[in-house]
Amino acid sequence: MTSGSLFKLAWQQTLSAGRLPIWRALLLALTVAIAIATLLAVLGDRLEQSLGRQTAELLGADMTLHSSRPIPQAVANNANTLGLETSQVAQFPTMIEAGENLLLISLRAINMPYPLRGNIVTQPAQVGIPEPGTLWAEPAVLERLSLEVGQQIELGYAQFTIAAKLISTPDRGNGFSNFSPQVMINQQDLDATGLLGPGSRVRYRQLFSGDPEALNKLENQLRPDLASGERLITLDSSNNINGGALNNASRYLRLGALLTLLISALTIALSLRRYTLNSRDRAAVLLSLGMTARQLQGLFLLQLLLAWVVCALAGTAVALGLEQVTLYLLDDLLPQPVPSAQPALYGLGALLGLVSLITLGLPPMVAMSQVSVMHLFRRSATPTTWGGRMLQLVAGLMLTGLLMLYLDDLKLTLILIASLLITAWLLGKLGAWLLRISAFALAGKHTLVRLLRLRLQQQQRWHQMQIPVISLLLALMAISLWARSDLLDRWQSQLPDTTPNHFLINIQQHERDGVDQLLQSYDLQSQLYPMIRGRITGLNGEPIATAFTEQQRQHNALNRELNLTWGERMPAHNRLLSGEWSSQSDGDEVQLSIEQEFANTLGLALGDKLMFSIGSHTVEGSISSIRSVQWESFQPNFYVIFTPGALDNMPVSYITSFYASGEQRKVGNQLLQQFPTITLIDIEQLLAQARSLIGKLSDTSGLVMLLTLLAGLVLVFTTLSQELDQRRYENALLHTLGATPQQCQQLDLLEFALLGLVCGGLAAALGEIALWFIHQRLVLIEPVLHPGNWLLLPLAATALFTLTGLLARRRVDERNSYQLLRRLG
Amino acid sequence: MNEPVSEIILSAQDVAKRFDTQAGMLELFREINLEIRRGETIAITGPSGAGKSTLLSLLAGLDLASDGSIAIAGQNTHTLDEKARAELRSRHISFVFQTFHLLPELNALENVVLPLEIRGTTQATDRAREWLQQVGLGARLDHYPAELSGGEQQRVAIARAFASAPDLLFADEPTGNLDEHTGEAIIEQLFQLNTDQNTTLVLITHDNHLASRCDRRLHLHNGKLQEWPQ
Ligand SMILES: Nc1ncnc2c1ncn2[C@@H]1O[C@H](COP(=O)(O)OP(=O)(O)OP(=O)(O)O)[C@@H](O)[C@H]1O
Ligand SMILES: [Mg+2]
Repeated sequence: MTSGSLFKLAWQQTLSAGRLPIWRALLLALTVAIAIATLLAVLGDRLEQSLGRQTAELLGADMTLHSSRPIPQAVANNANTLGLETSQVAQFPTMIEAGENLLLISLRAINMPYPLRGNIVTQPAQVGIPEPGTLWAEPAVLERLSLEVGQQIELGYAQFTIAAKLISTPDRGNGFSNFSPQVMINQQDLDATGLLGPGSRVRYRQLFSGDPEALNKLENQLRPDLASGERLITLDSSNNINGGALNNASRYLRLGALLTLLISALTIALSLRRYTLNSRDRAAVLLSLGMTARQLQGLFLLQLLLAWVVCALAGTAVALGLEQVTLYLLDDLLPQPVPSAQPALYGLGALLGLVSLITLGLPPMVAMSQVSVMHLFRRSATPTTWGGRMLQLVAGLMLTGLLMLYLDDLKLTLILIASLLITAWLLGKLGAWLLRISAFALAGKHTLVRLLRLRLQQQQRWHQMQIPVISLLLALMAISLWARSDLLDRWQSQLPDTTPNHFLINIQQHERDGVDQLLQSYDLQSQLYPMIRGRITGLNGEPIATAFTEQQRQHNALNRELNLTWGERMPAHNRLLSGEWSSQSDGDEVQLSIEQEFANTLGLALGDKLMFSIGSHTVEGSISSIRSVQWESFQPNFYVIFTPGALDNMPVSYITSFYASGEQRKVGNQLLQQFPTITLIDIEQLLAQARSLIGKLSDTSGLVMLLTLLAGLVLVFTTLSQELDQRRYENALLHTLGATPQQCQQLDLLEFALLGLVCGGLAAALGEIALWFIHQRLVLIEPVLHPGNWLLLPLAATALFTLTGLLARRRVDERNSYQLLRRLG
Repeated sequence: MNEPVSEIILSAQDVAKRFDTQAGMLELFREINLEIRRGETIAITGPSGAGKSTLLSLLAGLDLASDGSIAIAGQNTHTLDEKARAELRSRHISFVFQTFHLLPELNALENVVLPLEIRGTTQATDRAREWLQQVGLGARLDHYPAELSGGEQQRVAIARAFASAPDLLFADEPTGNLDEHTGEAIIEQLFQLNTDQNTTLVLITHDNHLASRCDRRLHLHNGKLQEWPQ
C-alpha cells in the first residue's frame, strides 16, 4: 500500500470519525489542553518579564545595596569592571523650614546617572537630575509650606531654588520615614547643607543595572561579605504591595491549569480507549482485506496526527485569543509595551498535546491492531479490559510526570498519587455501598426498585470504577470553583472599602491626646500605637552571631532597627496562634508577643528570651504568644509587642492609620496645621491601584476556570454516554425478563440520578478536604467550610447526570432504531 | 461443473479444537479430515454452537488447531508464524461476512479499491469499477454504504472479496442478514463469480436450499464433520 493511499484512507477515516461524539470529545479535550498549556506558558513568561521590569522601575535599578554607612568606592569600581551601570544615593529624614512652617521631609541626594531604571516625571519637565543649587520637591512639600516653583528655600546652611515639582519617581527607598514627602537635590550640594553631622540618620544605597549575568556575579561577590546594617535587594527578593496577591493569583492560575490538563488527559484517554474499542471491527476488516498490523498502526497513528494538527491549530489560536483578552484586562496595570514571550513557548502547548496524544493513544492502538479477523465471526468473547492495563500504566506515569513538573518534589508527588489511589479505592467501595443503601431506602415502593437492585448488581463493577473517577472529577471542578471564590473573598476582605487610606506617623508623646481628640471629633476609627525603634541583640543569653544560623542572620529583623510597640490588648486585626496574650508583665519578667513568620524564620518558640537594645537601654523579654498578622491590611503591624510598662521612659512616638472619606478628608489639613511635625501619608491612590489589580486578576482566573469547567463537562458527558452505549446488552437481558423499554429508560435515569447524588456528596466531602490542604499548603489562605455546596453539589450532579442520561439515551435509541430499520429494509 | 481432477487447495488432517473454559476443557470437534479442490463450492451446516465459525477460522488460517494440521495452497499453517500466515491469507483468501462490514466513510468504489490498493495493484480504480459492474452496481459507484440496501451492500462486499483474485473465499452466513429474495440473488451472484473465476467457495449456512446448491455439503454435529452424500 502506498503511503499516499494510506494517508488518503486516514484522512477519510478522520473525517468520518468527526461525526462521532466520542471523537469530538477527544478533539475538544485536546484543544482545551493545548490552549491552556500554551496560554499558561506564554502569559506566564510575559507577566514574569513584565513584573520584573515593573519591580525594577519601582526600585530604580536591577539591584541595590543598602547600607547605614557610606559605600566604599571599590564597590562601584567593581561594578564598572563587570560592565554594570551604577550610581550612589544618600537619603535621610530632615526638617525643612519656610516662614513659620516646619515639615519633616525625606531628602534624597543623587548623582548622574539616575535613575538606572524607570523615569522621573517632573513639572515642568526636566532632564537628568537637579542642577547644583536647585531642588525638585513633591507637591505635598510645596502645598504645606505654601511655596511655588521658582521660589528660594533653605536646607540646612544652603540656599536652593525650587526648579520643579516632582510628580513621580522610582527608588523612593523603603521604610516608614520614606513615606514622608520627598525632596531631591544634587549630591554635590550635600556637604554645603551641613546636614550630614553626627546623629543624622543617613541611609546610603548603591544602584546597579545591566546584564543579568554580571549582576549575578556581583551579587555573589557582595552577598557573603554583607556587614550588619547592609542589605542587598534584588528583583526577586523585593516585595511590593501587589506581590502577595500576584503570587496567589499565579498559583491559582497554575493550579487551575493543572486541573484542566489532568481532566483533559483523562478525557483523551477515555475517548481513545472507547474509540479504539469501537474500531475493532474496522481493524479486523482491514486485516481481512490484507492489511498488515504495521500498516494498520500507521493508519491510526496518521489519524491521531491529523487530529493533532487540527487541535494544535485551534488550541493555539484560542490561546492567542485568550492571551490578548488577558493582556487587555491587565492593560493599565502593566508597563507598556508588555515584553513579548519567547517564540518557542507558542509551540509548547501543541508539543505537549502531541506527546500526550501519542503516549495515551499508542497502547490502545497497538492492542487494536492485534485484533483477529475472527472477531468478525464471533463477537461474544469481547474482552472489556482491552488494552486497559497498559493504558492505566501510561496514564499513571503521565500523571506522575505532570505532577512532578508542577510540584517539583518527587516525594510529595508519590505521596499525592498514593493517596489519590487509596482515595479512589475507598470512594469506589463507599460509593457502591451508598448506592445499595439508597436502593434499600426506596425498597418496596415500585417494581422499578426491584429492577434497580438487579441493575445495581449488574453494574457493580462499573460503579466501582466510575464513582471514583466522577467524584474526583466533580471534586476537582468544585475545588477550582471554591478556590477561586475563596481567593476573591480573601482578596476583597483584605482590602475592604474601609481599608485605612491615611497613615499618621511621628506623633510625639505630648501630641498624642490632641491627635486622638481631633480624630474622634471627625468620627474616625483609629487606634494610636506607641512606637519605639530597637534592635535585637541576643537570644536566650547568646549574641546574634552564635544564636542564629547564617541564613537566619540574613533576615531583615536582625539587620535593622525594628518598630516595637506595647499594648494591653492585642491589635484587633491580629490573630493569636499559640501561647497566651499577656496584658501585663509577669512579675519582673517582660512578656513578648511575636509574629508567626518572624518566629518561624528565626526558629523562635514560646518561652524563648529575646534581648533588645533600644537607644542606650537593653531590655529582655520572654515570648508568651505568637500572632498572625495580615501584612497587606494597611494597619500598623509589628513583629514584636511588649507588655505595657516595659518600655517606659524611652523615646517614643505614636503611629496610627485611619479611613477617611468625603468631609472627613479635611482632617488632614487640620492635623498638619495643629501638629506641624506630624507626617501624614495619603495612600488612596495606592489602594485604588491594588483594588483594580484584584479585579483584573479575578477576571483572568475566571477565564481559566471556564476552561476547567468546560473540560470537566466534556469528560462527564463522555463517560456517561460511553456507558449508555454499552447498555444495549444489559437492557436486552432486562427485556427478556419482561421489563418494558420505558422501564429500562426509567431505570437508567433512576440509576444515574442516584449515582449523581452519591458522586456529588462524595465530591463535596473530598473537595472540602482537598481544599483545606491546598489552602494550608499552596495558596496560604485561612481554611473555611463551604456548607452551601454540600447541598448544591449533589443536586447539581444529580441534575447533570440525569440530563446527560436523557441526552445520550436519545442518541442511542435513534441509532438503534435506525439499525433496526436498516436490517428490516 | 468442474474439471474432474484439479489441485487440492485446502486440506485438513486429524484436526481438533479445544478451549479452556471456566467449566473445564471444552472440545468442539476432533479428527476432522477434509480435502478441498480448486473451484469447488462447499457448504458447512450444523446447529448453532456446533463450532462452524471456529472451524472456518482454522481453515482460513486465522487460528491454529489444537491437534492435527491444515495446509492452505500447500503451506502448513502450523509451521508459520502469525505474520507469515497473514501474508498467506492476503495472497490466497478473501472473506464475506454476515454483516457486510463495509467501511462507512468510503463509497462503493473506494471500498472495492481498498484491497487492491493495500496490495499495490496497478489500475486499481479501473478494476474495481469493472467488479462493481459485474455485480450490477455500475450505476452506484459513488454511493456510500448508508445509502445502499442490505443486498446492495453485500454485493459491494462480494465485489470487494473477488477484487483481490483470491483462490479461496470464505463466507460466514452471507445471507443471514438478508430477506429470502435478496439472499437468493446474492447467492446467484456468488455462484456466478465462482464459476467465472474458478474460485473455491467455503460457506457456512443454515439455509438448506443454499446448501443443496453447493458441490459438497458438510454437516458439523457433536464434534464430527460428516459429508452428506449428494
Ligand atoms: N475462544 C473461545 N473460548 C471458549 N469458548 C469458545 C471460544 N470460541 C468459541 N467458543 C465456543 O465454541 C462454541 C462454538 O462456537 P462457534 O461460534 O464456532 O459456533 P457456530 O457453530 O458458529 O454457531 P452459530 O451457528 O451460532 O454461529 C460456542 O459454544 C462458543 O462459546
Ligand atoms: Mg457462527
